[in-house]
Amino acid sequence: MVSDSLKIAATERSPEIEFDFGQGTLRFRGESYPEDASAVFGPVFVALDRFLAEAGGRNVLAEFDLAYFNSSSAKALMNIFQRLDGAAAAGTPVSVRWLHAPDDDTMREFGEDFQEDLEHVVFTLVAAEPTD
Amino acid sequence: MSFDLFDAEEKVLEQSDSLRGRLTDAPEEVRKGVDLLIEAFGRSVREQRRLVKVSDRLQAQLSSLNHELARRRAEAEQALSDLKAAQESLVQAEKLASLGALVGGVAHEINTPVGIALSCASHLADSTAQMRRLYEADDIGADEFDRYMATVTDGSDLILSNCRRAAALIGSFKQVAVDRTSAERRRFDLGATLNETMASLGPNLRQAGHEVTIECPSGLVMDSHPGALSQVLGNFVMNSLVHAFEPDQPGRITIRVDQPQPDQVRIVYADSGKGIPAQNRGRIFDPFFTTRRGSGGTGLGLHIVYNLVTGPLAGTIVLESSTLGTAFVLTLPVSVP
Repeated sequence: MVSDSLKIAATERSPEIEFDFGQGTLRFRGESYPEDASAVFGPVFVALDRFLAEAGGRNVLAEFDLAYFNSSSAKALMNIFQRLDGAAAAGTPVSVRWLHAPDDDTMREFGEDFQEDLEHVVFTLVAAEPTD
Repeated sequence: MSFDLFDAEEKVLEQSDSLRGRLTDAPEEVRKGVDLLIEAFGRSVREQRRLVKVSDRLQAQLSSLNHELARRRAEAEQALSDLKAAQESLVQAEKLASLGALVGGVAHEINTPVGIALSCASHLADSTAQMRRLYEADDIGADEFDRYMATVTDGSDLILSNCRRAAALIGSFKQVAVDRTSAERRRFDLGATLNETMASLGPNLRQAGHEVTIECPSGLVMDSHPGALSQVLGNFVMNSLVHAFEPDQPGRITIRVDQPQPDQVRIVYADSGKGIPAQNRGRIFDPFFTTRRGSGGTGLGLHIVYNLVTGPLAGTIVLESSTLGTAFVLTLPVSVP
């Protein structure tokens, strides 16, 4: 099961989501303001719970490259971070990369906010030009 | 599969309820305190759910407003560029129309010297034919020869001067016509250009008996767009003829040039007409503003003037109008940037 992958294409209101179990990488890219955040993020929670249960000390990298998200997406992100921080506390090496456009202070500050609640993951803020 | 974003909080609430059940031995104070805490946390989670919902809705509205805004902005920009293109083509059409009027004026103006030369030549031919008959009959008297010589001298002088006048007119019209049709920038003598332009408009002005005065320092050379300037003057004159002067009432047009600064030229075009009503003064440069829509006004004349003065001529235009007449003050750089 560990070789499974989850890939969800972006829509106008939801980000592209790539979860490569083999590499241990989880990526979000785009904007996130879906009508129903639990429908978009639900599959990620399920996959993440299953993956972390089986990760067994392997390196995990989560990358967030989001230009915009709404409040329920923020709540969903917080849930993801809690799961990651929990796994890191239990010994799985977890790194988080939070990407934001160099001139986007709002996204940088959101990254800093999330970082404050995380005690065990290695959190990196990355100022980078959008890829597309 | 429905997923609850507040799953973690709900689990904590469930756990705290079961913990609360195990607090039966604790003092009442403690139990009540924990009850209050659990209740407050539950309320807080419900409040968070509400806030997230409200916030999501607001963000969705904001996003659709932003999309709508972007769409309308694109529409407005498209409309603006369509309008600019339409104005541009109208301006081109108006330029061609005024060139047509110019050609008509040229034909009229040249008609006079050519007509005089023609009648002189025909008179000379008649006199010569008569002299030939007298010569062949060997019957030329001294008086007849004197008269013939006088006729030939006067006639050839008149033919020469009128042909010169026609040639000069053609020369100046050619320059005006070339300038009008090209946007060329060149060095030109301002006084000469003003005179040539007003000469090309002469027929329209003289027919109604209007008087034109041009006061321009001699030798004032500009490096600019003479065609644009000529078009501006032409439109001023047409406006004076159509709007300022009452029919059958001779008016006065003066063009005064001075230099407020060495690198500036001020051209004041003034007519002695009835002036522009105060309520129209703010709108005369607007495209399509006209008081003569019914009788063929396009409302583009002064708009074109404004565009030419502020565009190619890189200057400013100010209107001064009263019941004693209208004046346009153009302030232009001697050399356009």
